[in-house]
Amino acid sequence: MSINGNYFAGVDVGSLAAKSVILKDGEIFATGLVPSGVNSVESGLNALNLALESAGLKQEDLTYIVGTGYGRVSAPYANKAVTEITCHAKGANYLHPTVRTIIDMGGQDCKAIRIDQDGAVVDFAMNDKCAAGTGRFLEVMAGVFKVELKDLGAIALSATDTVPMSSTCTVFAESETISLVARGEKPENILNGIHHSIANRIAGLFSRVGIESDVFFSGGVAKNSGMKSAIEQALKVTIVKPEIDPQLIGALGAAVIARNFSKKEGLWAA
Amino acid sequence: MSVKTLDVIRKRLEERPDELRRARENGLKVVGWVGYNVPEEIIHALGFIPVRIAIGGDDRLVEIGARYASSKTCVFIREIVGAFAENQDPYIQQTDILAFDATCLQNYRAAEVIEYFFKKDVVVLAVPRNFHLDEAKEYFAHEANEFTRLLEERAGAPLDSARLAESVALYNDIRKTLKSIYTFQASKDNVISWEEVYDLIQAGDLLDKREYLSLLTQTLDELKERQHHPVIASDDGDCRIFLSGSLIPRGDRKLIGIIRSVGGRIVGDDLWSGILPHLDLDIKEISPAGVALGYLNRTPHAALPYLDLESDRRLKKLQERLSEFKAQGVIYHTLRYCDPFTFKAKETKNVLAKSGIPLLEIHTEYAGSDYEAMKTRVEAFVEMIKIKSEIAEEQGVLVDA
Amino acid sequence: MGKQLFRYSEANKEKFLESDNITFNDGSTVSPEEIWHYLTEEAPAKYPSAFEVNLYQGNRGSRDETLPTSLKTRYLGLTFSARMEKAKDNGKSIAFIQGGQAVDPYTAADTIALRPGLVNQWNNGLEYGNDINKENLRRKKSKEKAFHDMSFEACQTGGYEHVQAGDLRIDVIAPYTVLRCSDISYGVEAHRHGPNKNVKLLNVDYPLRFQADKPWAIEYFAKNLRRLVNTLDEVTGRKTSENDLLKAIKLHNTGRRLGTELAELWWSADVPPTNSDDRASMVSLGNLEVHGDVQASLSVLKEAKKFIAERVKNGVKGHAVADNPKRLFILGSCVGINGSRSEDAGAIVVGRDDQWSHCSSLVEEVGDPFYNLAKATLEYPYEQSIEKRAQWTIEQIKKSRADGVIFIHNWGCNTQAAISRPIVDIIKRETGIPTYIHERDLHGLRDEQEQNRVNAFVEML
Repeated sequence: MSINGNYFAGVDVGSLAAKSVILKDGEIFATGLVPSGVNSVESGLNALNLALESAGLKQEDLTYIVGTGYGRVSAPYANKAVTEITCHAKGANYLHPTVRTIIDMGGQDCKAIRIDQDGAVVDFAMNDKCAAGTGRFLEVMAGVFKVELKDLGAIALSATDTVPMSSTCTVFAESETISLVARGEKPENILNGIHHSIANRIAGLFSRVGIESDVFFSGGVAKNSGMKSAIEQALKVTIVKPEIDPQLIGALGAAVIARNFSKKEGLWAA
Repeated sequence: MSVKTLDVIRKRLEERPDELRRARENGLKVVGWVGYNVPEEIIHALGFIPVRIAIGGDDRLVEIGARYASSKTCVFIREIVGAFAENQDPYIQQTDILAFDATCLQNYRAAEVIEYFFKKDVVVLAVPRNFHLDEAKEYFAHEANEFTRLLEERAGAPLDSARLAESVALYNDIRKTLKSIYTFQASKDNVISWEEVYDLIQAGDLLDKREYLSLLTQTLDELKERQHHPVIASDDGDCRIFLSGSLIPRGDRKLIGIIRSVGGRIVGDDLWSGILPHLDLDIKEISPAGVALGYLNRTPHAALPYLDLESDRRLKKLQERLSEFKAQGVIYHTLRYCDPFTFKAKETKNVLAKSGIPLLEIHTEYAGSDYEAMKTRVEAFVEMIKIKSEIAEEQGVLVDA
Repeated sequence: MGKQLFRYSEANKEKFLESDNITFNDGSTVSPEEIWHYLTEEAPAKYPSAFEVNLYQGNRGSRDETLPTSLKTRYLGLTFSARMEKAKDNGKSIAFIQGGQAVDPYTAADTIALRPGLVNQWNNGLEYGNDINKENLRRKKSKEKAFHDMSFEACQTGGYEHVQAGDLRIDVIAPYTVLRCSDISYGVEAHRHGPNKNVKLLNVDYPLRFQADKPWAIEYFAKNLRRLVNTLDEVTGRKTSENDLLKAIKLHNTGRRLGTELAELWWSADVPPTNSDDRASMVSLGNLEVHGDVQASLSVLKEAKKFIAERVKNGVKGHAVADNPKRLFILGSCVGINGSRSEDAGAIVVGRDDQWSHCSSLVEEVGDPFYNLAKATLEYPYEQSIEKRAQWTIEQIKKSRADGVIFIHNWGCNTQAAISRPIVDIIKRETGIPTYIHERDLHGLRDEQEQNRVNAFVEML
């Protein structure tokens, strides 16, 4: 097998999951996704190894690796670390060059990113330190209703009413949810309210950076159909359909950047 | 090679609390002041030792302060209140009288809370919101006279006009020298960093003013020896960041450290705790009102509202300085519950966007828990600026081949 | 899915129809028949959220059916939005002001003055047919936008987004920059960068630190009041004279006196003659600004005093008030606790410092009206030093025979939050009455966490 400079990897270690993408000749060749553990080096390697195994490659076969996500600061396997904001921009641009706006909802933060035709970040805004609008928030809510995280969106979409949540603080929202259940509100209506509440928070975030079509939704929460629908309503936009798992976009962008870096090593961020 | 006088200044700062203690034993009184429009020359001319109370970065003190002033008060104010509660800060320990201004209403509340809980002798200078109107200036002149009267009572002697003139001259020299030094930090070859100049400015909050002027003059001489004419220009690979927003007092170096750690170079600021208060201070008359009006007529603090965007001298000053220091982006620092700056973040961003300068708001408090989150934002911002420069230069690396 | 709506009982109709008309600023009147029709037919269809039998409204949907004033203040509240629209259609000028300030100069300048709560009320009434959930979702959505346009940590956003979008036809933003609100001057300044360039801006600069003892501070505020009147005149195109201001002061003094007498009458009763919300809505009539119509407020207020006197004389207890309820005095920001739910827990709100401090500040009627108004305004008890404000509050607590004190401050209300502890410390020290400080979470419904704490405090009492 010719491995002569053709394989580039991106590894994105987030707070809930570690993801990897390997590019071959500019095309997505393999991917890996594992839950994040306490050790971010190990999590990143696990994700990378998963992709390598599925591709039948070894780490030495890779020409260049870019690490991203919160785990990028301790990624000895990576040649370079780049923030996930830059990586999501590049990943979405790779899949859809017409994308100008990205909503990224990950485990611990939420980002509104504006990009240009080259996939370079023009502007971005992120949530404050509150966990509202993140995967962790939804995970807590799934725990309250004792349902799988992946099913939350579908349940919300089956609602007949929207029960507003007064609090978007994770701790307060949890106890408020319990009170609403005790009051006799239906779980699907409460969940619908939670999704709309988060969507409104995100709409507020976009008032800082603006919106331009096409709009892309990345990150683990992007798999949640209820959230996608609520955001489309709140922002009055149609979100483009991703060809790959939206949770992999950061890793994909990192892989694309790895390929570019290998061409012009150290030109920026040296 | 470091600037030698800076080492002398660091040493003198270590010795300063003891020096203050001895001065007080000899009958002198220390006035701790907090605010933006406190006319320090009046305090100085009355024979008091002025010391600026501005500390930050200690989450433990913030927690203590919240017990007295609520957790909904600005982080800086909470830390100040916490420091008075704890009474371990060597400068706070040495204060006999406190002088607050009411430029920021939270600053005023801090004065009230400290007065109530810790039984401190507090003098407050009220500041008009409509600061630019003639009637407001007239009112402020009265307030300056009242402020002086209250301090005279505590000094046990009236303010002497000749002494006030001497103090004004001394402070004018300090401001002039600081301004000259500041130019070097943004210049090519970087003979002194912005961080060093920032520390140097804050040293003046604490040191004896005559000695401080002499140390500043020495610093300037050293800098001139190294670089005869500072040229404000980029070095290769610079990502030139301008720092704006809420104050960053001594003890708080979290954001500054992060900017440097991700490859950003700070080349200027308009912080209340930085160079801004030392600029454009023109005292036209040697009197309490004359000095106070000189303060009020500077670039105003963000707590004082301009109702017409076009006339806003703060924004004009910011834009001038961005251009002067050839900054590529602004990091706009806002502290939790610091309303004067949080309310203006979006607007400032929009105004600067028109001239192609990106702005990143970093909203934070003194807890270390948001360090990584802040770092990610700042790093992405630095990446964004660098990529933008490269794309502009040569359709750089992130453009797919 | 239909929500259960409250209906006024026909059994009370006859007595209600015997009550007085409401007379408005423009000289028009509305009869009790018309009010009854509105409350039983029109309003439930337009504003089902106001009639929804829901836990947040104590499962009541109404306050006191047998108290005509309760129905009339409700009528004025529900018609508020339509009345403001009508006033604008008729060319009336409307100003945005601060809560906790009197409106004498605005009345003098023929301008309706609306504080933030009323601006929101105007906006809320523009959309019909919402149940409580929909209404709250709508509010939250616009609030989120305002937070990002202004500051996430803003306490009140004062309908900023609606004024700027032109949904609310406000001509001038001109509040007193009283210390009660940390955000107000920033909120005014925020309007300078919005798309609506037609709205005039002015901060009526309120001096602080022993301001009432400083002649130059009074002079300065008097000049601010003159500037305010001139600004309002620029909008209306008329010229407000000193005599106009004097007339307005006299009118408002009448309201303030009546409001004060009503409150004292209420306090004099052995059993609370109304529930918490009815008490608050009646006493706040004293400022004459609450319904955007000075004359309407005055006519309802005059009649209210008569009804309360009757109830006090006959020992009538207010609707849904528990036997021997624990009497709460509420301090702090412009937010209160949920009256009906707190009554369910065995409490009653007997007073608040907000909306009361300026109601109890009469203005001297002889001499320069600008100076007199400035002097009285700088004497607002709420705006004094910690010690002085606390002493005034203690007097009110004693007069109202409160069993407990809750200091509540809203999200982002820095200047009230900062002094909450010193104020309650002094009260506790000098009265021995239990106190509790509550920090309200970010906007929204009266949440369970808050009610849980209030209930626990009531249980403790």
